[in-house]
Amino acid sequence: MARKGNPARLVIALSVAAVLAIFLLYTSLVAQGTPSLQPSQLPGHEGRVTLGGKVVGTPTGDGHDAPLRFTLRDRSGTATIPVRYEGSVPDLFKSGREVAVDGRLRNGTFFAVRNTLVTKCPSKYAPAKKKTPY
Amino acid sequence: MADLGRAALIVTLGLVLWATLAGALAARFGRRRLADSAGNALLAALASTAVASLVLLGALLRHDFSFTYVADHTSTKLARAYSVSAFWGGQEGSLLLWLLVLCGYGAAAVLLNRRRAPDVVAWTVPVLGAVATFFAFLLVAVASPFATQTAPPEGAGLNPSLQNPYMLAHPPLLYLGYVGLTVPFAFGMGSLLAGRADERWIVATRRWTLVAWTALGIGQLLGSHWAYVEVGWGGYYAWDPVENAALMPWLAATAFLHSVMIQEKRGMLKVWNMLLVLLAFGLSLFGTFLTRSGVVNSIHSFTQSSIGPWFLGFICFVVVCSLALVFWRLPLLRSKTRLESLVSREATFLYNNLLLVAFCLTVLWGVAFPMLSEAVRGEPRTLGGPYYNFFLRTFGLPLLLLMGIGPLVAWRRASLRSVGRTFLWPFSFAVAVGVGLIALGAGSSLPGLLAYTFSAFVLASIVLEFVRGTRAAGSFTLLVSRNRRRYGGYVVHAAVVLFAIGVAGSAYGSSREAKLRPGESMHVGSYTLVYRSAGTTRVANANETRARVDVVRGGERVATVFPGKNQYFAERQVSNEMAIHTDWLRAEDVDVIADQINANGTIYFKALVKPLVNFLWIAGVVFLLGALIALWPDAREQRRLVARYALAQG
Amino acid sequence: MTAALVLAGLLAMACVVLVAVPFLREPAPPDDTLAAPGELARRQLELTEERDRALAALKELEFDHRTGKISDVDYRAAVGEYRHRAAAALKALEPRLEEHPRRVRARD
Repeated sequence: MARKGNPARLVIALSVAAVLAIFLLYTSLVAQGTPSLQPSQLPGHEGRVTLGGKVVGTPTGDGHDAPLRFTLRDRSGTATIPVRYEGSVPDLFKSGREVAVDGRLRNGTFFAVRNTLVTKCPSKYAPAKKKTPY
Repeated sequence: MADLGRAALIVTLGLVLWATLAGALAARFGRRRLADSAGNALLAALASTAVASLVLLGALLRHDFSFTYVADHTSTKLARAYSVSAFWGGQEGSLLLWLLVLCGYGAAAVLLNRRRAPDVVAWTVPVLGAVATFFAFLLVAVASPFATQTAPPEGAGLNPSLQNPYMLAHPPLLYLGYVGLTVPFAFGMGSLLAGRADERWIVATRRWTLVAWTALGIGQLLGSHWAYVEVGWGGYYAWDPVENAALMPWLAATAFLHSVMIQEKRGMLKVWNMLLVLLAFGLSLFGTFLTRSGVVNSIHSFTQSSIGPWFLGFICFVVVCSLALVFWRLPLLRSKTRLESLVSREATFLYNNLLLVAFCLTVLWGVAFPMLSEAVRGEPRTLGGPYYNFFLRTFGLPLLLLMGIGPLVAWRRASLRSVGRTFLWPFSFAVAVGVGLIALGAGSSLPGLLAYTFSAFVLASIVLEFVRGTRAAGSFTLLVSRNRRRYGGYVVHAAVVLFAIGVAGSAYGSSREAKLRPGESMHVGSYTLVYRSAGTTRVANANETRARVDVVRGGERVATVFPGKNQYFAERQVSNEMAIHTDWLRAEDVDVIADQINANGTIYFKALVKPLVNFLWIAGVVFLLGALIALWPDAREQRRLVARYALAQG
Repeated sequence: MTAALVLAGLLAMACVVLVAVPFLREPAPPDDTLAAPGELARRQLELTEERDRALAALKELEFDHRTGKISDVDYRAAVGEYRHRAAAALKALEPRLEEHPRRVRARD
């Protein structure tokens, strides 16, 4: 039962095409990716973004009883933005730490999505607490 | 003593340079003594790297803070074991560990194979030497572990969340895996350079690849367990770039392990295997680069450092040279055998490879996406859980199904009638399980239901293989000992199925948050959690605050758990201590997190029910067992191979 | 400090000696060529691998038949071809075996 040509090549070609198709459809339609921005880059972005920066000033609230309110500044810059957050606050959170949080800019304040606050650990080799349950 | 360390590393650099250059010359011109000398250089490099490592280890144990590295990663209060783990806790030390393991593997590979296949080893030595030269160069010129300073009175210490046994096992296992993939790569390239078209290199590296792959797999699972138990957010994998950094080479190595079986049985896929081993090795270098260079935004980010560009350059160099080599030797790799049928075991292996590589590349795309989007759009964009989960389902579910189909299909050409017959029992079993699960409510998640049904199919087909095989071979032990790789492989497949079941379970969990005063309770899943009291105890290095929470089910108290937080004095850090209650009979975990403890005694709790999560850890044990069976030396096979290759020395 | 340098010196010397050993052991050998299989030996190796593959495939066909993965009909259709392949592989090795009179185990 000798077959003409090589079905392996055809299979590979079809599979690659199928994979590419799924991939392109998905990434172009669904997964646009979430921009990671600093406060200075924020103005003009309407949708959900991940805002990163350094906590400055004195945060108020605890995220549960009262919303956590703090000011985020560019890592190495001066632009600041006030943030309003509700949800779990990582133990490492404090003024001077680098954090990242998801949310949207509305009327000059960054309204964060619940439970998305993450801190970057100051020392070299430590995982910070991640709040998204998996 | 730091001088001894520095000098030892310079000696290593010289030795591996000699191994590379002299080794290449010896192989090119066929000079035996020069080739032996180059091989000896690798052996000597192991010795000098070991000396450097001992110097660093000694300094760590002595808390010699005149070593900048020691001061940065230990303190006088640090327990002995964790002072040892500080060896791989920082960048310079972990590079040294990479080099040490590489020299160890290289020396062993040379010693075991130099008499049996001198021409292949002659070319493998310069390849190993070239990789070692890169790392030795970094250690000597860019990131030295032996930088000195005036010793401060106290060191920076180790982050408390790293002071646990996982820190002793997880990184070394991963390194055994990453570095181990260098050996099959070097032998593959060595074989091409020597102009050999036979399978000697695969036979020689079969066990190496398996060991590296097992270490990488177990290392990752340990990391997940660590995340689950210690870090305390109730999850075990976050698709973090550094986690993916270990996943990608593992996926490529899995594909490679399967496709070399096809090359052995049928002499096909020679080019594909060369490319796969390059992919696996390249990804393990890339993984090391990701973890160490700070180029990707990750909660694991270690440092922003200068070694990033060097790594990237080296990876490009390796890829370009290897591709050129494969292209040059393409005529040698052409095989006469063709895939005879799309319904054959070869074909299922091919589909398995395509799916594994496809998934590996989607993970790679996800990891590289922030860097690429920044280059293109000017702002980095990240792809998160939903992206990865979509492709995990799209590629993972068919892969799961294939694991069940593969063993039931014959080599070369399987008639659909035969296939239909062997499929009958596993298929019926799976359908029955599926229907039963829908009745139990598993239909709420379609991917979960499919995962369970496919898992049932695979388990049934594996059991059937063992049963039929035992009947044909006469006894179970005879069956397994005669076919160690195949049946060890089936056990590993069973482990993968258990893992899939554990992962699928997360689609059926629940989570609740509530703020409670002492005496109040909350509901999660079928449990009621009653908060009784809270208190703080002082231990040697921390204040431990714990809440007493009763776990009640069906009116009966099944357990009491103590979630809370630790406040470490020296490091001035707070860690979260999640409490886990495992219900083995119901096969689920109840996780209680004391998210926020207020001074007035109220606590903000978060509780999760995680069904089947312990299957993940059980899978790890089964995985190890299967790998050991597959690795176990087989005297009969050894004799056969020796006879085969003795002819070639003719 | 000097202890470190002395140790480093000793280490360097030991490594140089190890690297030089092949030359020290045989300063003037009659033959210094690397043992590599010639064209003939390579061809033979490939044929040997082909033979082992053919024999293993036959063995696996029998096993698959015994375990019921391949029906009687399919087995009878395939076994002839497999045996033919194995015989051809063994035959291809024969003339070379005459040049290398060594007992070769054809079966386990």
